[in-house]
Formats: sequence, C-alpha cells, structure tokens
Amino acid sequence: MKLKHSLFTRRQFLNGLLGGWLGALLASFLYPVIKFVFPPTREPDQVILAFADFRDMKPNSVKNFLWGTKPGILKKQDDGSYLAFVGVCTHLDCNVSYLADQRKFFCACHDGWYDENGRNIGGPPPKPLRRLVISIEGEDLIIKREGEERVEDQ
Amino acid sequence: MKTGIQSWLDERLGFSNILGFLKEKTVPQHKHSIWYYTGSAILLFFTIQVITGFMLVFYYNPTLDGANESVARIMTEIPLGWIIRSVHSWAASFMIAFVFIHLLSTWLSKSYRNPRELTWMSGVFLLAVSLGFGFTGYLLPWDDLSLSATKVGTDIPSSIPLVGVWVTKLLRGGEDVTGDTLTRFFGFHVSILPVFIFILLGVHIYLIQKLGMSLPLAAEGKKEKVREIPFWPNFVFREMVVWLLLLGILFSLAIFFPPSLDKAADLMAAAPEGIKPEWYFLFLFQTLKIFPAKILFLNGDTLAVFLMLLAGILFFFLPIMDNKPTERKGRIITIIALVVIAYAVVMTIWSLL
Repeated sequence: MKLKHSLFTRRQFLNGLLGGWLGALLASFLYPVIKFVFPPTREPDQVILAFADFRDMKPNSVKNFLWGTKPGILKKQDDGSYLAFVGVCTHLDCNVSYLADQRKFFCACHDGWYDENGRNIGGPPPKPLRRLVISIEGEDLIIKREGEERVEDQ
Repeated sequence: MKTGIQSWLDERLGFSNILGFLKEKTVPQHKHSIWYYTGSAILLFFTIQVITGFMLVFYYNPTLDGANESVARIMTEIPLGWIIRSVHSWAASFMIAFVFIHLLSTWLSKSYRNPRELTWMSGVFLLAVSLGFGFTGYLLPWDDLSLSATKVGTDIPSSIPLVGVWVTKLLRGGEDVTGDTLTRFFGFHVSILPVFIFILLGVHIYLIQKLGMSLPLAAEGKKEKVREIPFWPNFVFREMVVWLLLLGILFSLAIFFPPSLDKAADLMAAAPEGIKPEWYFLFLFQTLKIFPAKILFLNGDTLAVFLMLLAGILFFFLPIMDNKPTERKGRIITIIALVVIAYAVVMTIWSLL
C-alpha cells in the first residue's frame, strides 16, 4: 500500500533522529556514572568462623561477628544451641544490643524491643530481627543467609 | 506559549530577559572564528572535571594512610572507577592545553585591548587557578612522583626573601610536606579553588557577553559589516560538533592510556630518578634547572623566581601596557608572543631529553 501523505514531515524526522541520538549519547554517559556511584552490594553468601572462638560462650550470652559490612550476633541458648542474627534493627537500621538480664534485644534509636528469639515485641520495629542459618562442620562455624538451606534441600 | 508555572516563575526571576538575550546573540563569522570555539572547549572539559571530580570524591580518602590505597581501590575495585579517574586525569591536561591555546589566540589577535582589559585580567587569574588545580591534584594519588613534585613546587616560593618562607609554610601546612599537606591540598583542590574558579568564570563570561565578541584587527578598524550567525541554534550546533570530536579523542586516550599509580609515597625515601611535574610545568621546571647556583652575588633560584614573577606581572598588565587603538597590528607584541611560545616549547622538549 502506498500512502498519499507521509506520516511525518522531514523536519519531524530529523528532529526525532537528532533527539534520539542525543538521548542515546546521554544514556551512554550516564551508564558508567551510575555503575560507579552505586557499587555492587556486598552482603556475603556465607561467613566461616572458627568454632573454637565461640564454643566457650555462656548460655544466654551473645558474641558479635562480622556479617559483611553489618554486625552479626551469635547467641547461645540455654540448651546450648546457637542462634545467629543480623544485628540491625528492622525499623531504621540502627545496631541493636542484647540485654542478657532482661532476655531482650534493644534498639536505642527509637526504643525498639525484640524478645530473646529476635521477635519484635515493642516499639516501632515492624519485623523480627533477620535470622541467619548456622551449621557446624568440624572446627568451622558456617553462617549462611536464610533461605540458602531450603534451596539445598530441594 | 507559556504555561502558568513558567509565567509565575518568570515574573519573579525574569529569565525571559536572559533567554531573549541568547536568542538575539550573534557570533561573527570570519577566517579567524575558529578561535571562538576554544572557550567553549575549556568549559566542556571543566564540566567533565566537575562531574568526574564529584564522583572521585565519593571514594577518595585524603589522609596519609588512606590516600594511595583509596586511589588503588578506585582503579581496581569500584565499577568503572579506572575510567573515571583516567578521564579526570586526561581532561585536566586537555583543559590546560585549551587554556593555553585560548590565551595565545587572544594574545596574538590583540583582543585584550580596550575595552576588554578586564576580560584578559580575569583570564590570567583563571589560568593561575587552573594551574593550581593541576598542581594540587597531582599530589592526591600520593605516590613517589606526586610527593617529589609537590616538595619541589612548594619549595619554589621559599627563595623569595621575607615572605617566601611563609608562602611555603602556608602551602605545606608546616615546615615539610607531610600528611597535613595532603589534606590541605585536597582542601584547595575541592573547596577553595572551585569557589574562585566559579566566581572568575562568572566574571569572565559576563564580560564577554557585555562587551561582545572581539573581531579581527582588520574588521575592527574598518568598522565594516562582518557576517554573523545566530548563537542559537547555529553556533551552538557547530560547538556541539567540536565537543563530540573532543570527547571522542578524550575517551579514546582515557581508555587506552590510563594514568599510572605507584606504591604509596614514603616521606623519608630518596627522590626517585626522573621525577617530573605535569607537562604544563615542564618549561618552568627546566628554567629552574638551568639557573646556576650563584649569579654574581645573587642566589640562582631567587633570581629565577623573581624573573618568573616579573614575567607574570608583565603578562597580567599586558592590556595596560599595549593600549594602542584596536586596529593597530602591534608587531612587537606578536614577536614577544612568538618568542615566549618558542621558549616554552624548547624548554619543554629539553626537559624531556
């Protein structure tokens, strides 16, 4: 089929060409800028700790470890088992502390409270503390992101 | 056609005056109009420096222990960091090179004459600030090369009697180049010099708009009508072609020849062999080298520094000294310019041998 009139004028075509080309040029400049300004996230898949450092912990006590760029908290339960948390308040990212005498995690920034299992029980935190998965293999204490385990099960 | 928001803003800001001015603005066309593009080329590279500088400062750490390491991190870990640093380094050279070309074109065409004396003088200050950016930026990677260059550079003022020692102390933040010097140079580079360059650029560009583009000597004299093209869009489109060309060259060089980074400087180590400043300081560097230790009863480098200062002052006051009517050719001034160019080129080549 042959059109009687062209759909756009020569001027429109050239303007579109120039504009599109300028846009593509701008995008090619913006790409490296964005790559540079937003470095890739650095949350580790797992961290491996020496179990010897944590074996002698008393029940109902915590010890910190490094979870990438965040503090990780390892807690020994009364029955001798371990729990691992990302020690960051789910409200606005402050680091939390464990108050052993009250058996609670506490965030000082906005008075947030979690029970000894990391469940949010008072103040503004909307979610429980993030749990990490622990496995002990020989002398290594391996801490992984939650969900990794389930993937392996399938 | 104006929307409500546009007219609301315009009533308060009055930007339609500026837009109107830019719509009316014309640029003369003649066989020397190629030099008009050097100014906008400088602005292009300056803009690149501002943007890449903002980016580098996100990761750079201006401390004795962290500087070299943070630059190494930019070069190896941060995504595309090596390109950003390379572009910053290359665009600095390009900017200085175009500052020189811009300046020489003004000098040779005598465009600094009445009424453009202040444009020239603000330009000389802009040159000084640009060189200051280059000099302070050279130290920031904190490797052997940059340390030695800074030791030499900051020692030069100390040969001026009375005030010189204090200038050196001011630059170094103490008797010697230390970690404090690094932090101070970082401060000059990212906060003090930027304030000055923005003010000076504002004055310089305002003067150019107020006084209009200068014309070649012959046209100025005859007062005959020179062909003109509108600034927008004709001239701007031509400028964009030049910018694209320059960007292509800049990025190619930046990608294929990224700047080096040596291990962190050791403040107590001996200067490495073959230390050199950036290319635009080579002619001054060589001048200092060839002056003997003693000339008659004077210290060699004191005399050299005085001569450089005198040259700088004469250079600054060039429009006051050469205040002939605009149409005069000014052969002596042209010859002096050519002698200065020849001197700089010969000295630069000599220092590279």
